[in-house]
Amino acid sequence: MNTSRNMSALGLQGKAPPLYRRLYSVWYRHMRVYTKNLITNGFPPFLEPLIFLAAIGVGLGRFITDMSGLAYLPFLGSGLLVTAAMFTAAFECSYGTFIRLEFDKAYDGMISAPITVGNLFVGEILWCGTKGFFFTFAVLSVMSAFGVLSFMGCILAPIVGSLTGALFASLSLLVTSFIKDINQFNFYFTGFISPMFFFSGVVFSLDNLSPALQRMSEILPLTHAVRLVRAVCFHDWDPLQLLDLAYMIAVIFISGFFAVRRLRKKLIS
Amino acid sequence: MSPCRKWYKQDILVLMALERETIPQESVIRVRNVYKSYGKLKAVQGLSFDVPRSFCYGFLGPNGAGKTTTMNMIYGRTLRDRHGDSSIEIFGYDPARQELEIKSLCGVVPQENNLDVELDVRKNLMIYSKFYGLSSREAERRIDELLDFMELTDKKDSRIRELSGGMKRRLLIARALLNKPRLLILDEPTTGLDPQVRHLIWNKLRRLKTAGTTILLTTHYMEEAFQLADQILIINQGKKLLEGNPQELLEQYMERYVLEVRNLEATSMFQEIIRLTDIRQDRFHDTLLLYADNIDSLREAARELDPKDYYQRQTNLEDLFLKLTGRELYEHQ
Repeated sequence: MNTSRNMSALGLQGKAPPLYRRLYSVWYRHMRVYTKNLITNGFPPFLEPLIFLAAIGVGLGRFITDMSGLAYLPFLGSGLLVTAAMFTAAFECSYGTFIRLEFDKAYDGMISAPITVGNLFVGEILWCGTKGFFFTFAVLSVMSAFGVLSFMGCILAPIVGSLTGALFASLSLLVTSFIKDINQFNFYFTGFISPMFFFSGVVFSLDNLSPALQRMSEILPLTHAVRLVRAVCFHDWDPLQLLDLAYMIAVIFISGFFAVRRLRKKLIS
Repeated sequence: MSPCRKWYKQDILVLMALERETIPQESVIRVRNVYKSYGKLKAVQGLSFDVPRSFCYGFLGPNGAGKTTTMNMIYGRTLRDRHGDSSIEIFGYDPARQELEIKSLCGVVPQENNLDVELDVRKNLMIYSKFYGLSSREAERRIDELLDFMELTDKKDSRIRELSGGMKRRLLIARALLNKPRLLILDEPTTGLDPQVRHLIWNKLRRLKTAGTTILLTTHYMEEAFQLADQILIINQGKKLLEGNPQELLEQYMERYVLEVRNLEATSMFQEIIRLTDIRQDRFHDTLLLYADNIDSLREAARELDPKDYYQRQTNLEDLFLKLTGRELYEHQ
């Protein structure tokens, strides 16, 4: 065969690092860039839940005694565990990805190294999973410091945060693949992410919504993340939670698959 | 060192040199009848060429000629059109199916700077060393070596924003050398750089070539092609115009001397006289170019002229390039 003849004459064999190392290297790149500004990047995840707790929880929460059988502060606090993961992943894989793609041309360099476009974005989704873990952990630390949630009781919550991060990473990558101008992300955030924050059972229970709205909120991925994290925090298990988990994993894989396919066309002509 | 040891060492060197001679000059790059279109635009049309090992091969062509497209097809960044008998082999690998193998043997220096601006010089290299699967210890050593090689050691802790254009380009080259590539691909490596940096980069590239690296570069600096390339490929509108050693092409296709005459109104008489001789002429806006192998006939012609209206010199690659690609601008330039 031609290939073996050439290689033997030149004594050369191309050997790319194995898949896990390629994914790790992409993850490592994002981690390095993120931790470069650890103070400015690492502080907000702790500050945001404090603001929420003070404004909504203590201010509004005083008028609400009970929400779906829970005191209001733990109800809200547990929801915020996953929304933090959602926001960080959604921003990272929308504005962040678009800037790397169109302005910084960071991906151009990365795919000149032995990395495929698939590796590139799977690595990015994995990084957002890590970020989701960290952000949920940060919110949990604040919540437990103020006695809203029990740290040990919610010890598994960051895993749900990680899943939420991966979910919104792959969803946002898919959105990014359609975007032509960075301002179009406004539609995504005001039209999808923000309403989702209110209609996924984070700030109020979905039980009191009309059946139509309830059904609609079932489509929203965040609803499932919130339900799962509450089950994890309050040890209130129901076999239905398996469906939540399956739904989240399905969204990660399906939107991730199409995102990679569409973004590949942007990077490889 | 004992004399015996010394002899032994020399023998090894001789043997190595012999071995290099006897290895058949296999092509590192073999491109056959390759096409690429973007919609209606035909970027590359039936291009074929070979690049032997340890060669420096230069693509020359106006903007939009298909240089970058061809280069991108070599490492799988652009996919060639499906076309019955077209093929690309890089170290025997096909970039359409084996991009990872190829990229692990290549280094790519892009036209546009794409360094990570948030990180310093060292961390930029560290990140890329992971892409090539280097362990941290290997990476540290290799990075020191490369910073030294590209004369950037003083800048190792600098932020990218603090670097000059020349330093950024040198860092991009260092980054492309992390995996000790056997094929180095450079897209306009010295465009926009000052003469000092340009000569430094040329010098480094020559050293890499001597050490056995095959180099593929695009440029529209004829001087660069002349200085570096063993072989050049002049392309225009996606097609091969000419291929060969720059010096030989020049000798073969160009007269040795040229007389550039400006201020044509004042020299209308002169034009009449020239028309009668066998000197080849070319006109471009208000410059008349006269080509001849014999410098005396040009000197003779110039005698009539005011010295500030003409300039006599040897022809160079740029003259050949303009002769081949024409002097008019195309739509995509």
